[in-house]
Amino acid sequence: MPLTNRGREVLDRLPDVRPRTSSSMGCEIVRHEELCVGCGTCAKNCPSGASQRGDTFDVHQLLDAPADSRRGALGAALRRVARREPLGLVEVPPRVTVYRTIFYDAERCLGCGTCARNCPADAIEAGAPEFKVTS
Amino acid sequence: MTIESVATVSEAAPTTKTRQTATERSIVAFCCRECAYAAADASANARTPLPPSVRLVLLPCTGRVSPLHLVTALAEGADGVMVAGCLLGQCHYREGNFNAVDRVAFVQRLLESVGVEPDRCRMFTMSAGEPPKFVAAVKEMDRVIGALPPLERKAV
Repeated sequence: MPLTNRGREVLDRLPDVRPRTSSSMGCEIVRHEELCVGCGTCAKNCPSGASQRGDTFDVHQLLDAPADSRRGALGAALRRVARREPLGLVEVPPRVTVYRTIFYDAERCLGCGTCARNCPADAIEAGAPEFKVTS
Repeated sequence: MTIESVATVSEAAPTTKTRQTATERSIVAFCCRECAYAAADASANARTPLPPSVRLVLLPCTGRVSPLHLVTALAEGADGVMVAGCLLGQCHYREGNFNAVDRVAFVQRLLESVGVEPDRCRMFTMSAGEPPKFVAAVKEMDRVIGALPPLERKAV
């Protein structure tokens, strides 16, 4: 099971203690990128730091957004005036609170489902946990 | 009155053209009610002529402006958009214009990233008692847009 931020802090202070790892027993987290607005609420509430709110935004996420998605209106407008393919990431000013790329690391995810519960756009789904019985 | 201009909204110009005349281009100015629109009102009362390209959109505060407003205006026919608000630190809603400054900067980066001149979206600040500053801002925007080629738009 991955560690929380606090657990990682404790382990850093105790160098000879090795955590006993076991397979994850959390919920299955499914992220729907087309619904995501990039607000970073998931990252703010994540106990293990699996979701990170970036300070950059990939313009492809706007241009490729389907028309009925949350980013679709801005993406469609930008597509009409675009003259070339975007060059890559753009930096997002601090007061632009949405339109950010969220980095999600499945390795660190506990599967607690806090992100799904807090997501204002309902872009994250937490499925039922998968129990694996080992002998 | 000079504020409501009679020029027609420019259609997507043919690509062979490199410049637009003053009545062909259009600039959408998002103005906050407390400062910029009051300044625009005062300049109209003084019968100061504004460039015929500008169209004013009244907002309660520039903090209302979103990247969607700015980019949609460009996509639907405007050649430039400007956001005119209160002086920095003097927003009547305390920090609305700081939000607008960052959103305009974000839109400029988006435009630059897809190959459109970032100067097509700009932010100006003025107080309610400075109608000449508003007129100067509009004229500056009109001058910059006039020097740029027409904005090409793809069909939906």
